[in-house]
Amino acid sequence: MDFAYDAEQDQFRASIRSFLADHADPRAADGHDGLLWQRLCTDFGAAGLHAPEEHGGGGFTPVETALVLEELGRALAPVPAWGTVAAAEAVLRLGGADVRKEVLPPLLAGERIGALALVTEADLDPARVPVRADGETLTGTVPVVPNGHVADVLVVPALVGDRVVLHVVTEFEAERQDSLDLTRPVAAVRLTDAPGTPLDEGDLDRLLDVLRVLLAADLLGTAGACLGAAVAYAHTRVQFNRPIGSFQAVKHRCAELAVELDAARAAVMFAALAAAEDSPELATAAPVAKFQAADTAVACAAASIQIHGGIGFTREHDAHLFYRRALTGAALLGSSARQREVLASRLGF
Amino acid sequence: MDITYPPDAERFRARIRTFLAENLPAGWAGVGALPPDERAEFATRWRATLAENGLVAVSWPKEYGGAGLTDVEQVVLAEELARAGAPSGGENDGFGIGMLGNTLIQLGTEEQKSYFLPRILSGEHRWCQGYSEPDAGSDLAGLRTRAVLDGDEWVIDGQKIWTSAGHTANWIFVLARTDPAAPKHKGITFLLVPMEQPGVEVRPIVNAAGHSLFNEVFFTGARTRADLVVGGVGGGWRTAMTLLGFERGGQVTTQAIEFARDLDRLVELARDRGLTSDPRIRDELAWCAARVQVMRYRGLRGLTALLQGRTPGADGAISKLVWSEYFQRYTELAAEILGPELLAPTGPGSGEVLRVAEVGTPNSSRAWVDELLYARAGTIYAGSSQVQRTIIGEQLLGLPREPRLDGGPFAEIRPGKGA
Ligand SMILES: Cc1cc2nc3c(=O)[nH]c(=O)nc-3n(C[C@H](O)[C@H](O)[C@H](O)COP(=O)(O)OP(=O)(O)OC[C@H]3O[C@@H](n4cnc5c(N)ncnc54)[C@H](O)[C@@H]3O)c2cc1C
Repeated sequence: MDFAYDAEQDQFRASIRSFLADHADPRAADGHDGLLWQRLCTDFGAAGLHAPEEHGGGGFTPVETALVLEELGRALAPVPAWGTVAAAEAVLRLGGADVRKEVLPPLLAGERIGALALVTEADLDPARVPVRADGETLTGTVPVVPNGHVADVLVVPALVGDRVVLHVVTEFEAERQDSLDLTRPVAAVRLTDAPGTPLDEGDLDRLLDVLRVLLAADLLGTAGACLGAAVAYAHTRVQFNRPIGSFQAVKHRCAELAVELDAARAAVMFAALAAAEDSPELATAAPVAKFQAADTAVACAAASIQIHGGIGFTREHDAHLFYRRALTGAALLGSSARQREVLASRLGF
Repeated sequence: MDITYPPDAERFRARIRTFLAENLPAGWAGVGALPPDERAEFATRWRATLAENGLVAVSWPKEYGGAGLTDVEQVVLAEELARAGAPSGGENDGFGIGMLGNTLIQLGTEEQKSYFLPRILSGEHRWCQGYSEPDAGSDLAGLRTRAVLDGDEWVIDGQKIWTSAGHTANWIFVLARTDPAAPKHKGITFLLVPMEQPGVEVRPIVNAAGHSLFNEVFFTGARTRADLVVGGVGGGWRTAMTLLGFERGGQVTTQAIEFARDLDRLVELARDRGLTSDPRIRDELAWCAARVQVMRYRGLRGLTALLQGRTPGADGAISKLVWSEYFQRYTELAAEILGPELLAPTGPGSGEVLRVAEVGTPNSSRAWVDELLYARAGTIYAGSSQVQRTIIGEQLLGLPREPRLDGGPFAEIRPGKGA
C-alpha cells in the first residue's frame, strides 16, 4: 500500500515547477512559445514520458506525464502540450509499428508538433465526422483543433465507408481562430486530398479515457494555481481594517474549494495509476477525474476572479487567463455532464 | 504507487473473514435485516463474542487487555465488519474504548488505567461524553459547568446537553470549569464522574427523526473523587482535544465501503421507480458514485499516510465535510426519487443509527426518510460544517483568523464585547 507520490516524483515535479516559474509566460508569443516547448521536451521529456524508450519516450508511466501536464496547467504554459501529447497517445495506442517509428520520435523530441482533431466524443460519430477518406486521401474541414495552427502532424478522425478511423496527416491548411483559451489557441483545419495513414481501429474508449486523465491533470494544475492565487490575495488585501481572508464568506469559499481540489487531486492520482497499470478501473476513474478536475478548475478560476475584486476583471490580471483555460479544458473531451453520463452508463445505471 | 494491501494484512483479513463466517448467526444478512426488537439482544451477544476473541479494544496495547492490533490490522478489521454489517462493539464503546480508553492510556495515571480499563473492557463501565452545554457548542471552551474541590471530592454543578447514549451509560467524562479567573481555555478540568448518584439526572431528548438517542445531563452537587482528573487540574482542554483525536481511529477506509453499499440501494430504488432513464437522476447518481470513489481514493491515501506514520493534519476536517455533505446530498436525491411517496413513508425504518443505513436495511420509503432526517445531524455534530471550513481555511490554507472577542479571564467575558 503506497498511494502517494514517491520522492523522485516529488523531485521531478519541483524541478519542472521551478523551471516553469522562471520561463513560462502565459502571454508569450500569442499562445505558442515554441522555444519553451522545445526546452520542455529536451530537458524534461515533457511530451513522451510514458512512451517507450524505443520511440524516444522516457519509459515512465502516465503518472509522470500527468505530473508534467498538471504543472503546465498550473503555469498556464503557452505550449502545444495538449495537441502533441494527445496525437502521440493516439499513435502510440493505435499506430502500427511503422507509423509509430516514423511519427513518434520527432513528436516526442519536440522537433515536430502534434494536434488531435477531436474536441469531444461526438466527433467520432459517423453522422458528424467532417472528414471523408477517398482512397488514400482525405478531404474536409475540422472547425476547431487545439494547437492546430502550429501542428506539423495531425491525427484526425475520418469516415471510411461507414466507419470512423483515425488517420495521421501531415499536409493540411490551418487557420488560427479567435480563441477563448489564449494559452492553448485553436485553429480550423482544412484537408484537401491530403494523403493520410490510417491507424488501427482499436479501443477508442480506452484512448479517450487516457486522454481524459491527462486533461484532468492539466485542469488540476489550473485549479490549484487559482486557489493559491485567491488565498494569497485574501491574505494581503485589507478592507474594513482586516485582511479579507479573515471574513468567513471568503475563507469558507476557499475552504470549500480546497475540499474539491483535494478530491480532484486524489481522483487524478488514482486515474493516472489506473492508466499506468492498464487497470479495468480506468473506465470509471477517468470520467470521475475529468469532471471532478474540470468542475473544480472552473469553480476555482471563478472564485479567484471574485476574490480579487475589480482587479480580477482586468485584462492585465492573469485571473481571466486561468478562467479561459479552465472553461476550455472543461469542454474538451466532453462536458462534465457528459462525463457523468459516461460514468452512469458504464456503471450500468 | 501501489494500492494493494501488505500480505500480512491480507492474511489477517482471511482470519477475520473466517471468524465472521463462524460466529455470525446462520443466514446473516446484516444488522439492518434484523427485526428492531432483536437488535439490542444481538448487540449484547455479539459484543461478548468479539470480547472472547480479543476483538474489542483493538487499538489498545495487549498489556491493557486490548487486541494490540497494528494500524493496518485495525483498518482491515473495520473494513470486514463494515462489509459484513456487524457492529464493532456496543453503543457506549465508541466513548469508552475508542475515546476515553485511548486517552487514559496516553494521559491517565497508572491507578486510573488499572482501575478503569478492565471495567471498560468487561462492559461494567459504560461511558458517555459530557462536553457540550446549552451555551457551549461549537465554542466548547465557553463551557460553564462548575467543579469545586471539597476536601477529597469535586462537587459539580451545571448542565450538559446532546449527550449521546447518556441513557445507557453509567459513567460520564465531564469538562468542567475549575478556575473562572483563568482565560477560557485554561480553567477547564477533565473529570471522570459516576452517573449512578443522586446529583446526576439524565433526561432524554427526542431527535428530529423521532428517536431518543441523546440526552440532557444535569449535575446538582454531584460528586467525584479528587484524583479522577485526567491531564491535571486546569489541563482539561488539552485532554479534551487529545480525546477528540481518537474519534476516527481505524475508520479511514470504511466510509467509502458503507456509502458505496448504500448507493447500490439507491440505484436499485431509482431503477425500481423507473427513474434510471431520467437524465437529471442519472446525472446526480453518477455524481454520487464519483463522490464515493473519491472517498475511496482518499481512504487509500489516508491509509498510506497511516502506514508511513504521517499525521493527517487538516485532513480530518476535509473527510468530515466530504462525508457529511455527501450524506445530505444523496439522501436528498433519494427524496427526489421517492417523490410523493415521501409524504407518507411506509415499511420498516433505518434503525436509529444517525448514519448511513446498516447492511440489510430494507429499501422502504420509511428507511430513506429516516436517513434523510439523520443526515441533517452529520453537519452539526463533531464540529459543524462551518467550523470545519474555518479549520481548513486557517490550518490548511493559512488564512488569517477572525478577530476574537473572548480573550482575558473567563469570568470577565461579556457577550459581544472583548474583555
Ligand atoms: C446527533 C448529535 C449527537 C451529539 N452527541 C454529543 C455527545 O455525545 N456529547 C457532546 O458533548 N456533544 C454532543 N453533540 C453536540 C455537538 O457537538 C454540538 O451540537 C455541536 O458542537 C454544535 O453546537 P451547538 O449545537 O450548540 O450549535 P452552535 O455552536 O450554537 O451552532 C449553531 C450554528 O452556528 C454556526 N456557528 C457556530 N459558531 C460558528 C463560527 N465560529 N463560525 C461560523 N458559524 C458558526 C454552526 O455551524 C451552526 O450552524 C451532539 C450533537 C448532535 C446533533
